[in-house]
Amino acid sequence: MSQISRRQAMAVLGALGLGATAAACAGPGGSTTPGGATGPAAPATGDITGKVSFAHWRGEDKAVFDELIKRFAAMHDGVEVAQDISTSNDYNAQALQKLRGGSIGDAFATFRGAQFKNFTEAGIYTDLKGSKAVSNYEDSLLSAGKSGDNVLGLPYQVVFPMPMANVDLFDKAGADLAPKDWDSFLAMCEKLASSGVVPISWPGGDVGNGGQLFNCMIANNGPVDDMCAQIEQGKLKVTDDWFIKMLNQYKDLVPFLQPNATGTAVEPAQNLFSQGKAAMLATGSYHIAAVRGLGAQFPIELVFPNTSDGNAKYEGVYNATFILGVNSASKNQAAAAAWIDFLSEPENAAYYANETAQHVSVKDVEYTNPDLKRLSPWLEKKTALAARFQFLNLDVRNAVEASATAVISGTSPEQAAEAAQKIVDERL
Amino acid sequence: MLASISRRAILGIYAIIIIVPLTVVGFGSFKSTQELFAGPFSLPQSLSPANYAEVIGGQDLGTSFWNSVIVTAISVPLTLFLASLAGYAVSRLKGFVSWAIFGFLVLGMAIPAQANMVPLYVLFGRLGLLDNLAGLVLANVVSTLPIAVFILGGFMRTLPKELYEASSIDGSGPWKTYASIALPLSAPSIAAAAIFLFVIHWNELLYPLLFIQSPGNRTLPLALLSFQGEFQTNYPLLFAGVILASLPVVVAYVFLQRYFVAGITAGASKG
Amino acid sequence: MSTPTGTAAKRKTPHRHTGADEAKVRRRSPTRVNPALYLFPLPAVAVIAFFLVMPTLQAFQYAITDWNGFSAAFNYVGLDNFVRAFTSDSLFINAMTNNLKFMLLVVIAQTAFSLILALLLTKNSRGSILLRALFFFPTILSSVSVAFIWKFIYDPNFGLANSVLGSVGLEALQGSYLGNNAQALYWVAVTQVWFHAGQMMVVYIAGLQSIPRELYEAAEMDGAGRWQQFKSITWPFVAPATAIVVAYTTVQSFKAFDLILGIAGNPPKQSLDILSTRIYSTFANSEFGYAAAQSIIFMAMIALVTWLQRRLLRLTPKGE
Repeated sequence: MSQISRRQAMAVLGALGLGATAAACAGPGGSTTPGGATGPAAPATGDITGKVSFAHWRGEDKAVFDELIKRFAAMHDGVEVAQDISTSNDYNAQALQKLRGGSIGDAFATFRGAQFKNFTEAGIYTDLKGSKAVSNYEDSLLSAGKSGDNVLGLPYQVVFPMPMANVDLFDKAGADLAPKDWDSFLAMCEKLASSGVVPISWPGGDVGNGGQLFNCMIANNGPVDDMCAQIEQGKLKVTDDWFIKMLNQYKDLVPFLQPNATGTAVEPAQNLFSQGKAAMLATGSYHIAAVRGLGAQFPIELVFPNTSDGNAKYEGVYNATFILGVNSASKNQAAAAAWIDFLSEPENAAYYANETAQHVSVKDVEYTNPDLKRLSPWLEKKTALAARFQFLNLDVRNAVEASATAVISGTSPEQAAEAAQKIVDERL
Repeated sequence: MLASISRRAILGIYAIIIIVPLTVVGFGSFKSTQELFAGPFSLPQSLSPANYAEVIGGQDLGTSFWNSVIVTAISVPLTLFLASLAGYAVSRLKGFVSWAIFGFLVLGMAIPAQANMVPLYVLFGRLGLLDNLAGLVLANVVSTLPIAVFILGGFMRTLPKELYEASSIDGSGPWKTYASIALPLSAPSIAAAAIFLFVIHWNELLYPLLFIQSPGNRTLPLALLSFQGEFQTNYPLLFAGVILASLPVVVAYVFLQRYFVAGITAGASKG
Repeated sequence: MSTPTGTAAKRKTPHRHTGADEAKVRRRSPTRVNPALYLFPLPAVAVIAFFLVMPTLQAFQYAITDWNGFSAAFNYVGLDNFVRAFTSDSLFINAMTNNLKFMLLVVIAQTAFSLILALLLTKNSRGSILLRALFFFPTILSSVSVAFIWKFIYDPNFGLANSVLGSVGLEALQGSYLGNNAQALYWVAVTQVWFHAGQMMVVYIAGLQSIPRELYEAAEMDGAGRWQQFKSITWPFVAPATAIVVAYTTVQSFKAFDLILGIAGNPPKQSLDILSTRIYSTFANSEFGYAAAQSIIFMAMIALVTWLQRRLLRLTPKGE
């Protein structure tokens, strides 16, 4: 130790300094992802073997996917699919950064809207245009996963982000399950309230779930179908009359929500509904399995808060989401693509749908789950694609949706709209 | 008399505000959601470990637990080692050099972790340190080294110089003096710093949140945070998770209470 | 800027003064510094230089770009990001306002409350020691755990707070806590105080126990009342402890990231957004350049607030 002279010590220090300077030159930029510049390529082909990481956010579907994985593995020797599950909020915020390197998410899912767009821009999707899976899907439902001519992702689930209804409570109160206009919707709530139950249980304390109601409220109020995209681009404003009208309708709902609704988390909201204390749960059909798990025995229907004055353009809202794709940075694209193909086969999609109580966009699927059967007519109705997913900037989306929450907690619609518009304007 | 009553009232009420929620969490971890909502204060109907089993099995909390153990078990001693080396040098070097090294090292206390998270994320990405435990260890070491140097260096400076000099006369090199004199004499300060670091590293959330991608590499706080998503405001499960995640620290606290208080307070006073 | 090279270059100077012929002296004088000692701080210096100082400096480089974190291309935008943060980003201004409000609330409440607890528990009686251990307990929990516990307390439908109020007939006081945007921040501040007051109490107890008893006895002889004694003896004597408590609480309130994410979800709503969560959201929104600029403002604010506090308390300790 004592042999080392100060000069040597200096040399080491100097080398460290040089290293630091060199590293410091590697600033922003530089780390690109394959495929981004030249446009997406088809996934590589090869043997279907090895490990596949499947990244998604549906923790409650884990067991169902595990069973499908078992069946998939039985068909191909040496293939192993592992699920990498994050919660939906985290997935929304972080999946892009996490999947870029390709260390997880050989196969993955994205939300429709902002996340799909960011993934497309970052070149994470490969092009599935020519794949076997594509032909299994309803053509009309594929658009959420398209970018120009390329089919980058396959929107797997069809969900109805509309309030679920406890049919027993509706019958008891003599309330109408399909109100024709806003007044009859409010009259229906009135009937439910006077029968001694909370008409609507709404998880206003949870941004993701609480915001689903927004899809229903805006569907018939918006002057155009892509109103949210236009709000974000500045072509429409939330201070416009139609938006203020919608906020006033939110205000009409206040007496029919559970007390302190803006602070209610998801689980308590689900409990109010599943225990029969609330007649509706204003989240969406994707909560059926959860509500059944909490002990709900009653028949469940969907109710559309019809905001129109009788000539509604839409009878409901739906969303095509859980957009499956193959990672361009994946080292095992062949097996990942095979896994997506497998999930897209009608038989397997049917298993997934019936076990998780969610509709799928795969054709020729037979729904045997009683809840799905009951709700299947909704697949044929004139429903609007859920509008909130048109927002590409999460700050904008949160601000616009927060205006509704603000109205429910007592802010005047005009003030709430102005506050939201300010944030939108700043992000034009 | 009045003073005594209000003293008791304040202390009593605050004790209740601490004990009651913790008890509810303890009881709640054995309940179903319905049972918890029906009566948060009631004793659980059974001591069924179902929630614990679900949390450990279903959410891979067992793996996260081991990840936390591994990360903490490496990062705490490593931080202490590097800090004590630096602290020792600082206590023996003189004048400007000593001041410059010490100043450079403790300067980092003024840099909050969020301040450099973007460049650090990119740097870790380029070094292949994302999504592995080694990256977390390194991040922990980096973020707490300044304060550890501050605590240990500050203490070692107060050790009598004569001890070092005597050792030098014996012909011991600096390494030997460090290992056989400086370290043992600094034991109380090292123990305090160790506990301070243990609590920080065990509970660290930001770095795992930034760097970890695969669930298999999650540490406990991140796993716990991941519980709460669209479908998981399931309080009984959260409570079971909270208890499992806190267990090692709580056990250590019960047995080493005095060191805990001293260590964490030392950290606070210096930070 | 001090890089390792910089430090090393400076390092030479003092030794030049010590003697013309270092080499000869080295062996003989026991007080002579062994050069191997310079290697001791090396690992720590390297780690800090590479992973703390360098990324922090790089933050400045990122801050003048519009890099999105994944493309190869980016533009230098000068100070645009900084201008944007201060003039046309109400979410950032909102987060900053929230953060300052939160800091003020927590600093005042936590300092006062921990001092009260410390005053009540200064004596080393059995009960006091037990209560100190209890009050200290929340400190050792992780922020996420504390967040979950309080999320349940504040749950408006099934939570503890409203249950307790309901069972004692105070339904009128029941609220939606975190759901009420005007109050949400206050409720998180309460949680933060619950979390750390015990720790600050211990700092105060150490300060209080160092006050000589004679001072109080003398004051009592002079007929000074309790308030008088507190003002003229206790408060000046615990001033160093107050400085510590205030400084630490300030930093904690800027770093309440974990607590907010745990209690409000990710991303938190506007009424609970603080600087660190806003930076994280910007980062998650793939605006790396802008996030870096926000980080720098964040760092500068902490420095500024700390400096102001020291001036206010007139306690600027002599530099280490």
